[in-house]
Amino acid sequence: MNTTRTDQLLSPALLAKLERMELVSRKVFRGRMKGERKSKRKGQSVEFHDFRNYVPGDDLRLIDWNLYARLDQLFLKLFQEEEDLHFYAMIDASESMNFGNPTKLHVAKQLAAALGYVGLCRADRVSVQALGPPGRHAPVLRGRASLWKMLNYLDEVDSGHNVSLYDGVKDFSNRNSGTGVAVLISDLMDKNGYETALRMLIGRQMDVFVMHVLSPEEIDPPLRGDRRLIDIEDGDAAEVTINTYVLQKYQETVKSFIGSVKTFCAKRSIVYLPVRTETPVETIVTKYLRERGVVR
Amino acid sequence: MNLIPSLANPLAWGLLGLIPVGIVLLYFLKLKRESVEVPSTYLWSKTIEDLHVNSLIQRLRRNLLLLLQLLAVAVAIIALLRPGMQGETTGQGRTVFLLDTSASMQAIDDGETVNRFEKSKQLILARIDSMSDTDTAMLITFSDRPETVQSFTTDRVRLRNSLKRIEVTNHTTDILGALKAADGLANPRRSSDITDVNDFQVADAKPADLLIYSDGGFPTVTEFSLGNLKTEIISMGSPIVNNLAITAFSTERNTEQPTEVQAFATISNFGSQSVATTATLSMNGEFLDAEAIEIEAGDQTGLSFTIETDEAASLAITLDHKDDLDIDNTAYTGLSPLRNVSVLVVTAGNTPLSVGLQTEKTSKICSPTFVTPSYLQTDEYALRASSGSDDLIIYDGCAPTVMPATNTFFIAALPPAKSSTLREIAPADASAEPVTAQESATTPTSPASDGANDIRGWKWSTEKSSVNLIDIERMHPLMRYLELFSLLIFSGRGIEGPPGTVELVGADIGSVLSIAPRDGFQDLVLGFDIISRDEEGNPQTNTNWYAERSWPVFLFNVLRYLAGAANASGAPSYRPGETVRLRLENSVHAPQVSCNDGPPKTVTPSPSGVIEIVDTEIPGNYLIENNSQLTDRFAVNLFSSRESSIAAVKEIDIGYESVASTTGGVDQRIEYWRWALITMLGLIAAEWWVYSRRVA
Repeated sequence: MNTTRTDQLLSPALLAKLERMELVSRKVFRGRMKGERKSKRKGQSVEFHDFRNYVPGDDLRLIDWNLYARLDQLFLKLFQEEEDLHFYAMIDASESMNFGNPTKLHVAKQLAAALGYVGLCRADRVSVQALGPPGRHAPVLRGRASLWKMLNYLDEVDSGHNVSLYDGVKDFSNRNSGTGVAVLISDLMDKNGYETALRMLIGRQMDVFVMHVLSPEEIDPPLRGDRRLIDIEDGDAAEVTINTYVLQKYQETVKSFIGSVKTFCAKRSIVYLPVRTETPVETIVTKYLRERGVVR
Repeated sequence: MNLIPSLANPLAWGLLGLIPVGIVLLYFLKLKRESVEVPSTYLWSKTIEDLHVNSLIQRLRRNLLLLLQLLAVAVAIIALLRPGMQGETTGQGRTVFLLDTSASMQAIDDGETVNRFEKSKQLILARIDSMSDTDTAMLITFSDRPETVQSFTTDRVRLRNSLKRIEVTNHTTDILGALKAADGLANPRRSSDITDVNDFQVADAKPADLLIYSDGGFPTVTEFSLGNLKTEIISMGSPIVNNLAITAFSTERNTEQPTEVQAFATISNFGSQSVATTATLSMNGEFLDAEAIEIEAGDQTGLSFTIETDEAASLAITLDHKDDLDIDNTAYTGLSPLRNVSVLVVTAGNTPLSVGLQTEKTSKICSPTFVTPSYLQTDEYALRASSGSDDLIIYDGCAPTVMPATNTFFIAALPPAKSSTLREIAPADASAEPVTAQESATTPTSPASDGANDIRGWKWSTEKSSVNLIDIERMHPLMRYLELFSLLIFSGRGIEGPPGTVELVGADIGSVLSIAPRDGFQDLVLGFDIISRDEEGNPQTNTNWYAERSWPVFLFNVLRYLAGAANASGAPSYRPGETVRLRLENSVHAPQVSCNDGPPKTVTPSPSGVIEIVDTEIPGNYLIENNSQLTDRFAVNLFSSRESSIAAVKEIDIGYESVASTTGGVDQRIEYWRWALITMLGLIAAEWWVYSRRVA
């Protein structure tokens, strides 16, 4: 048991809290295995769903004999099926995420681990993966015991895989054909735009959550004077003389950017969740995400 | 009004405008940006997209440090260009400064630390400082005489140096000469007769501003027209003053008591309030007397002191009152010494006369020269008589044909009938035969003494006979201290003089001693011999006067009052700066002049014995000494009511115009460069503060 690694991402106290939580899906998906979630399938749970006419070949155990007695017709009694939920957590592992203290990537890992652990505890099908180069394998996990696998995987995730958000999501979509809850944890700072990536997830009929991770240094940069800003992803340089006016302008740009993402998500029923890295992950998961209906 | 004279040229403004542009370029060229890694330039790029629209302006905008630097440099440049605002000057570009250097400008008004002259210099200096490069100015001073200290020039340094050289004088004031000097270029005159239609005025008038820095004290100028001179009187001083002045101080010997001298002083109050103080009289530097005085404003009073002295003395009177003007608080005068007179005695031999002229006392004041009557025929005598080099000529028993140009004393002889002096007659006439006493005595009807022919001349009124004295004019200086009634006179004749003759001794035969004026000289005639001659020519006593004590006293009186050894009045007084001409005795060759016990200066007299003393600037007693013996003296005093009346005038009439005075307000150029410099320092401090704040 790697205690150190667990302590880095999830504290035992948080794990205890997470075990009592449950991921909330606004949609009902078809699962693959028997689980604890309602499914579109009709199955053998205790929860009544519907009646239908008997056709030859149906299981006679499902005939509602009371109705037959009253109506002299055979009806089958249908029950709601309970299956597992597919939960996908996508971590933007680009170089821009390796910024801040703690880094945005670290916070993203914590969030992914926390949500993944909630899913594991609820016997959901959990897949936590970094958006990296194509061909990178991410394990599909199920069951509480798979926590360590998930953490091992997250531990290996590092920044430096500068793929665009679109390419990462596309790679994810190609690998995972199922539907379910998809949580994208990213700073969305892709010069090619984040919109196409999100549209792709929507097109996959996913219940999409976007966790927009920003560090305080990005929202209110402690920079003044004549600076040459170098993009750590692509090495692009921008010469700027930072003064109060320019800073004010930048903050207006940040607000505008957040506002545009929020609008884009609202129009497409995507839950947008802004996350600041200085906020403890316990607070984010137990309070913030619960209030926003991500978990309960 | 030109705020920055150096930038009158638009090209200069252009060059000035390039400086900030250069600074901005250098600012960006030298800019070294610090590289900083950011997660993404995505948002920064979006931010500066707007700024890139007008990049340079946007970069400059809100760049406080650069703006402060630019401002500081701009202000420094402006400060170096010496910005300022010219006052409301006349703008004619030509200025004539007339500076009063008279004695009244020495006054220090109440509340001032410098006198009016120094204050005037400061005002002129301020004017010179405010001149632009194209302005030209001239500097003239005036007291009792004008002086062009600096002709028209645009060189402010020369004007300042010339102004620095000027010093105030003790002179009186006369502005006319200075006005004429200033008038030259402004009002050019025709070169010839104004009625000549062919004569055109060739010079163009150059109008000028005439600035007169004076406190007045000069007579109204009537014979002058200002013409193109735009005149401004800068009145120095205030109308409310405090000045007590001695306007006259003289001494007079009492003619009846020669040892008694009276000193008279006139004290005037030119101030605005009555003054009570004391006047102290000192003689030879020692306190002599003092008197309390109280004078109302604008009033005057007289003081008289009685002094007992028969010697030469230096007198000074001082007012024990501190007022605005010091120079008129002390006045000087002196008592002239007894002169050493030159006496020519023409006699065939007269022992009593010789002895009487060479006593111990008379020898101090007299240098007698004895000659015989034949000397009268020589050219040397003619020259001597005509030049008046002798103070007295005594003709004993003889007479010249023409009267000499000096006082005479005839003993038993009459002056020639035509009582004209040798100055009016050609020297050749002097060679005429002299008239002897015998001839004049034996031929009373001769043409020389013919009263019918010349009723204005001297003549015998009686034949020779014994003489009994009857009356003596005791009040006359010549007869002072004489007791003559015990005289025995064996033979004498009555005399009649021309109109104006004063009988000094009357006898039973008429006047035997008379004195009469002649062309400014005086002739004393005695009607009897002291020593007569018998038929063989042997001397005989004609009177016992020579044995009397009155004889040497009489001769001493003759020397003192007829030869002029004793001057009845005090030393003359001159104004400061006046040239003093004095005639000294011929024996004085290298007299030395000293003032108020100062170092003596040797002056050289002219061949006629006249010396000219020009260094009379300082008021005081001036002594002329020869071999440490006082020869002559005079005093220098201001004695000018105009100078002592130091209240500033409100208006001055020049020609037909009346010029109102101003209070001396100078349209001084207001300099801003100091403020600009302070602003620049403030900007640099602000820049440093901003920089430190950002670095921190």
